[in-house]
Amino acid sequence: MNVNVSIRRTDGVKTAILASRFESIARKMQNTLFRTARSGILNTAHDFSCVILTADCRLLAAAESLPSHTLTGPDIMCRYVMKYHPKLRRGDCFLHNSPYEGNSHAADHCLIVPVIDEDGILRFFVLAKAHQADCGNSRPSTYLGDVADVFEEGALIFSAAKIQSDYQDNEDLIRMCRARIRVPEQWWGDYLATLGSVRIGEREILELGKSFGWDELEDYAESWFDYSERKMADAICKLPSGKRLVTTAHDPFPGIPDGIPVKAAVEIDSEAGMIRVDLTDNPDCQPCGLNLTEGTSMSAAMVAIFNSLIDHTVPVNAGSFRRLDIKIRENCCVGIPQHPASCSVATTNLADRVANPVQRALAEIAPGYGMAETGPIMPPGMGVISGRDPRHDNEAFVNQVHIGVTGGAGTPVTDGFLSIIHVGNAGMCHLDCIEVDELHHPVFIAGRRLVPDTEGAGTFRGAPSMLAEFGPIDDCAMKVLYTADGTITPALGTRGGGAGGKTKARKRGRDGDLTELPACYGAELAAGETIVSYSSGGGGYGSPLERDPARVLHDLREGWITAARADAVYGLVTTGRAEDDTLAVDVAATRARRAVLASVA
Amino acid sequence: MRLACDTGGTFTDLVVENGEEIRLFKASTTPDDPVRGVLNALTLAAEHFGEDRTDFLARADMFIHGTTRAINAILTGNTARTAFLTTEGHPDVLVIREGGRIEPFNFTVPYPEPYVPRRLTFEIPERIEATGNVRTPLDEAAALKVIEKLKTLKVEAVAVCFLWSIVNAEHEKRMGELLAEHLPGVPFTLSHALNPTLREYRRASATAIDASLKPLMFDYLDSLTRRLREAGFAGRTLMVTSGGGIMDAEAVARAPIHSINSGPAMAPIAGRFYTDRDFDHAEAIVADTGGTTYDVSLVRDGRIPWTRETWIGQRFRGHMTGFPSVDVKSIGAGGGSIAWVDDGGLLRVGPQSAGSTPGPVAYGKGGTEPTVTDCSIILGYIDPDFFLGGTMVLDREAARKVLKEKIADRLGLSVEEAAASVLTLATEKMVGAIDEITINQGIDPSNAVLIGGGGAAGLNAVAVGRRLGCAGVLIPEAGSVLSAAGALMSDISSDYAQMHYTTSRRFAYDQVNAVLAELEARCKAFAEGPGAGALKVTTEFSVEARYMHQIWEIEVPMGLGRVKDEADLEALKEAFHATHKMIFEITDPDSDIEFVTWRAKVACKIREGGTGRLPAQEVAAQTEKRPIYFTQTGWTNAQVLRFESMPPNAPVTGPAIIESSFTTVVVDPGTHALRTDGGGLKITF
Repeated sequence: MNVNVSIRRTDGVKTAILASRFESIARKMQNTLFRTARSGILNTAHDFSCVILTADCRLLAAAESLPSHTLTGPDIMCRYVMKYHPKLRRGDCFLHNSPYEGNSHAADHCLIVPVIDEDGILRFFVLAKAHQADCGNSRPSTYLGDVADVFEEGALIFSAAKIQSDYQDNEDLIRMCRARIRVPEQWWGDYLATLGSVRIGEREILELGKSFGWDELEDYAESWFDYSERKMADAICKLPSGKRLVTTAHDPFPGIPDGIPVKAAVEIDSEAGMIRVDLTDNPDCQPCGLNLTEGTSMSAAMVAIFNSLIDHTVPVNAGSFRRLDIKIRENCCVGIPQHPASCSVATTNLADRVANPVQRALAEIAPGYGMAETGPIMPPGMGVISGRDPRHDNEAFVNQVHIGVTGGAGTPVTDGFLSIIHVGNAGMCHLDCIEVDELHHPVFIAGRRLVPDTEGAGTFRGAPSMLAEFGPIDDCAMKVLYTADGTITPALGTRGGGAGGKTKARKRGRDGDLTELPACYGAELAAGETIVSYSSGGGGYGSPLERDPARVLHDLREGWITAARADAVYGLVTTGRAEDDTLAVDVAATRARRAVLASVA
Repeated sequence: MRLACDTGGTFTDLVVENGEEIRLFKASTTPDDPVRGVLNALTLAAEHFGEDRTDFLARADMFIHGTTRAINAILTGNTARTAFLTTEGHPDVLVIREGGRIEPFNFTVPYPEPYVPRRLTFEIPERIEATGNVRTPLDEAAALKVIEKLKTLKVEAVAVCFLWSIVNAEHEKRMGELLAEHLPGVPFTLSHALNPTLREYRRASATAIDASLKPLMFDYLDSLTRRLREAGFAGRTLMVTSGGGIMDAEAVARAPIHSINSGPAMAPIAGRFYTDRDFDHAEAIVADTGGTTYDVSLVRDGRIPWTRETWIGQRFRGHMTGFPSVDVKSIGAGGGSIAWVDDGGLLRVGPQSAGSTPGPVAYGKGGTEPTVTDCSIILGYIDPDFFLGGTMVLDREAARKVLKEKIADRLGLSVEEAAASVLTLATEKMVGAIDEITINQGIDPSNAVLIGGGGAAGLNAVAVGRRLGCAGVLIPEAGSVLSAAGALMSDISSDYAQMHYTTSRRFAYDQVNAVLAELEARCKAFAEGPGAGALKVTTEFSVEARYMHQIWEIEVPMGLGRVKDEADLEALKEAFHATHKMIFEITDPDSDIEFVTWRAKVACKIREGGTGRLPAQEVAAQTEKRPIYFTQTGWTNAQVLRFESMPPNAPVTGPAIIESSFTTVVVDPGTHALRTDGGGLKITF
């Protein structure tokens, strides 16, 4: 007993210092990638991740990255690198994007570098994953929902392909990418940026090994995993034990006319300090692009759990993961995909349909923890726009925009974060500037604004929907491809909270008339036409009748909700007037009004 | 005689430059009426010179001032009730921002409130396109209706930011005329005039911040200049700016956003001077250590890197100023940072700080949590009887007791080893901050000198420099008042910008040269106005450019003020590739280049040779020793020297302590310290 305690004690200082060093290296990788990337999706939207793994492929450190990219997946990918390349050498670098071998979806290109010491021994892996503007799909979008399989999807798939030996490019692979990827210059720029990132990580870890010794770093890794596991176990032990079976459904898409029902069995085992999620009782892979990969299925459930702890001091790595038991199965649309199922949209739509009910279930088992559901995504305001740019000799353009998306779920302690984007993103990506989009692309953005009364009502409410309206400039035609979920099943609230507003897509003709558009679609817009996109709002946490009246007043004064909703849903009664900014809470009347509403409900 | 005065959170620093000599003074800051603190510092100086304050002030011809007044007003929400006027269809520019979030699993931090509430935001029917073409003309009738609402709502300031006003300012200008006519007496700011930069959120944010500060800063500067005049000062009052220059107080009152980051912006100005003097123009990492924050800035090739991504508060959680300012990375680490052991048994330092109240345990003012300063006292680095020149006696035993109970026992370490570990971890955090800014600006720390500024810098500057593998560490003689010293060295300056998009493939020579000519004319007007009588006037041109399809521009210095022909364009392209290579280590020579914003900066030099020196003091060079602790050596009896009495070029080998009334420098075992001819303390490894 004493021996254990004393080992743990001496670790307290060295572990803290090395944790800071590894975090700093991951951050340097991230900054390098961000600063040098070419495409908007990387350097504006921040859609990339940088991680460090141990030589036996366990996640050790991650820069602040998209959770859906990093929790599980990098480990599996490194294992495939070792499987296909048993003899790793310094100077090697691997390009990997295979959804059947650990990656998220084909559009996320990963570069993996083994960190090899002076004696030729593998010590660590560094991995950088970056979402490409294009990955050679059959149509100009990196998210193809309506494809039967990977062949129709058309992406170039690289399975641990050695793209560098002795720090020199394998030109064969470079030429393949240039030949099959639209906007090859953007791909090339992003490749250089990603390469710079992993090489900086490699260099820094080699220096760290020199100054501390490799054995010391290995000891550190174990001690850090143990620490992280303890923190995770402590966090789980604060929750009550319980089980819930929750269901949800993805909207119908081409190829899946009834949509996809998703079921998750969620269990908190407080005594054992474990959380278990079983996803095996779900449909087989579907003839569409929505199937998840092993990495995104697992990560989706894990994101929900880390969200639900409301304790961000628990480190996210292979140590804390020991306290999670996520069950998935082969050939399942929310499990391990079977070739040639398409996983083109594996990071978002169906992944959200796993994460959202899990965090809602955790809230139902454990009051004060868990979260409501985050808004489902991919409204046209996050679509991929393409066409020819009349301002630049009709050069082809294609890029994903992040004009209008919101979605934050109500939590036990805060309102939904406006720009969370979707549950697997955690708000890590950025939203576009109107001026940058209009300078960069032949697009005119007529407006973007929040839509009142679209928040999932709650003690802590969800984020409202955002409206975005845009179209091509004069003399230009534009295609907007999008794969929107949430047009039928909204983000649900939890513990008495309400649902968020639904996703909507409409087209405005030259004469101003609006027509509804399908959920998964490629809209053709001529000059003078626009697409009108509504993002999903987030669900609310707890009853809106228990929301602090001061917060309701704030939402009313600020136009997040209308007076009618403040009265009918939140039971707020006010004095004063909006016109001269004198609105105030009528405390007694509000109490009475809430009592009436509660008795009706 | 020139005076530089920097009002910080705790102390008001004053540097008096009298010919070739400088003297340093510190008074307490008086938050209820900061001008009183300024006058108190002036009284101290007058007493030192044995003069009446009125006579003393009458001898001064320049008063250069830096203040946290504006930033504090923002942080405490004491700015004017400000309205925001925006393009129709885009009411939520300040709400939506540019997205982004930190700490993916931290849901305890709510989404930030917009700088101007939505209920004080009004859409104006108008729209200009990216080309500058008017798509929807300004609806003046609608604009007048909005102005009527502003009257009803009793707004005190107005910010106007329309889309693409940086390309065509027609609508913003007209809106300004309508405001001036129909809402007289209410100050307003127009975005194109204040900060003509691409990206509507940051431009709108800068505009809103500026407008909201106008009533307050006008009053403050009015009060300052009036009371200085009443006290006998008849010279010129200048303010330091976030851009690292100085401006007349009246100019800052018209655009007060210039003053918000002025303190940290001065440190690299001083750092550049001292590195040039004592380290032969090396690249410099300037670290200014305060009680609660650690500010890092850089000097590269004599230039101080700028950024347009300055945040008030935390990144993504605060407000972006969107204003070009000296690139400073700040982290919450300093003498007041609290050490603790978390529930998993790991040692932590910060982010909580004991600040100046209650302060470290040893101050005996009610602090109960062990801080970095307490650890320095325990290790013998700070002499408990000679703190701030002996003006404050410290309780070392109290510090030991708390550290033992809260840290050492829980980690199973001796008290001194626990204290050393806290300092090591604090050093690590500071190194992390330096790593981040150096990688973002493409500087290799191993070629650079670390400049330690701020009173607490010397406690671990040598450790930080050694850990980074720097060429050396320099503690300037005025290091404890680095910002105020920097203010004495800065130029009267201004900068101007104009967006004009063009590409290297189809370069718009005529339009670009017209833009550059216009910028040059504005610089010339400044040099002949506020800059009149300067020793030297320099105008530097630069352009913000990027490779085709990149999103973020980098600032590329232009050798020439015009791009006349293909050869000039070739030179500009080369300069772009070289700058890109320097910052990012890669180039893409075949790619086209996009040029976005053209800039000109005019600097009017008012003093040669930076600043005067601290006069040498005749103190008997007695050798004193005291026990101090390092992990490598254990307790060791180290020599203790007085900074002021060290002769130049006499080497001292660590372990040693070098003390002055304002600072303590720890010279780690095996490192070498030397007083330079200039008067700074240089430590090499």
